[in-house]
Amino acid sequence: MASRDKTEDPEHRLSSTPIPAPAAGVDYFHFDLILRFLLFASSLVAVVVMVTSNQTEYVPLPRPAKFRYSPAFIYFVAAFSVSGLYSILTALASLSVIRKPALKTKFLLYFLFWDALILGILASATGTAGGVAYVGLKGNNHVGWHKICNVYDKYCRHVGGSIGVGLVGSIVSVLLVWLSAFSLHSRVPQ
Amino acid sequence: MEGQGKAMMMEGVENSKGREKAAVGGACDLVLRLLALALTLAAAIVVGVDNHTKVVPIKILDGLPPVNVPVPAKWHYLSAFVYFLVANAIASTYGAFSLVLAIINKGKSRGLGSLITVLDALMVALLFSGNGAASAVGVLGYYGNSHVQWKKVCNVFDNFCHQFAASVLLSLLGSAAFLLLVLLPLLRLQRRN
Repeated sequence: MASRDKTEDPEHRLSSTPIPAPAAGVDYFHFDLILRFLLFASSLVAVVVMVTSNQTEYVPLPRPAKFRYSPAFIYFVAAFSVSGLYSILTALASLSVIRKPALKTKFLLYFLFWDALILGILASATGTAGGVAYVGLKGNNHVGWHKICNVYDKYCRHVGGSIGVGLVGSIVSVLLVWLSAFSLHSRVPQ
Repeated sequence: MEGQGKAMMMEGVENSKGREKAAVGGACDLVLRLLALALTLAAAIVVGVDNHTKVVPIKILDGLPPVNVPVPAKWHYLSAFVYFLVANAIASTYGAFSLVLAIINKGKSRGLGSLITVLDALMVALLFSGNGAASAVGVLGYYGNSHVQWKKVCNVFDNFCHQFAASVLLSLLGSAAFLLLVLLPLLRLQRRN
C-alpha cells in the first residue's frame, strides 16, 4: 500500500500543483456567455409568443382561447420565465468570471448544479406543453377529445411556435450542462 | 528536511484518503446507475402492461335495458404515453450499457467518463420531457378541460389511471437518479478542494 502511494505520489503532485494557476483545465466562458444569451433570448420569445396567443372565435357565440385555460401552458410560461431570469443572472456571473478568473472552479460547480436543474425544468415544460398541444392538434377519438386547432388557427400557430422556440431553449440548456461538465471533468483528478 | 518528509507523509495520507473517497464515489456511481436502470425499466414495463377493459352500460333507448359495451383503455391510444414508454425504454437500455461501461472503465479513462456524463445529461432531458408529456395528458385525464370540452376519463378507467400514475412516479425517481449521476463529478471535485 505504502509503496503504491510512493510510486503514485509524483503523478499526484503533478496533477495537483497547478491548482492556483489558471491553466488548470480548460474553460469556455466566452462560449458559455453566448449560450446563456441564447437561452435568455429563446425563453423571452417563448414566453411572449405563448402569452400573446389569445384568440376569440364566434361559433356562433364568442368563445375565447387563452393559454391560461390549460395548466400545462401555465407551467410552460412559468418555467421559461424562471429560465429567462436565471440566464440573466448567470450571464452576469459568467461575465464576472471572465473579468476575474480567480473563482473559476467554484463558479463551474454552481453552474453545473443549477444548469442541470434548469435543464430538468425546461425539458419537462417542453414535454408538458408539447403533449397537450399534440392532443389539441390531432384530437383523440379513443377518449373523445376533439381537436381544436381547426377552429383556433392563430392560437395554435402561436402555441406551436412557442413550443418550437422552447425546444431550442431546452437544447441550449443541454449544451450548457455539457460545457460545464467538460470543463469540470478536465479538472477532476483521476 | 524533516518538515519536507512530514509534508510528503501528509500528502501520502491525503492521497490514500482521496483514493478511498474516489472508490466510494465510484460505488455511488454504480449504485445510482443500477437504480436508474431498474426504475426506468420498471416504469416502461408498468406502462406496457397497462391495458384495462371496462364494461360500460350505455342506454340507447329509454324503454330498453342498458347495453353493456366493453370499452378498452390501452397505453398506445395516446401519443404522449407512447413517447413516455419509448423514452423510458431508451433510458433503461442506455442505463444497462453505461453500467457495463462504468464497470469496465472504473474511472480510468477521462474521455469515456466525459462521454458518459454527456449522455447522462441527454437522458435527463429525454426522461424529463417524457415525464412532462405523460403527466400533462394524465392530468387532462384526471380533471378534463372544460374550456375545450375534453371530458375526464379517469372516473371510468380508474385502474388504468392509477397504474399509469405509479409508472410516472417510478420514471420520475429514475430521472432524478440520472440527474444525480450528472451532478456526481461536482461532489468529487468539491471533495478535492
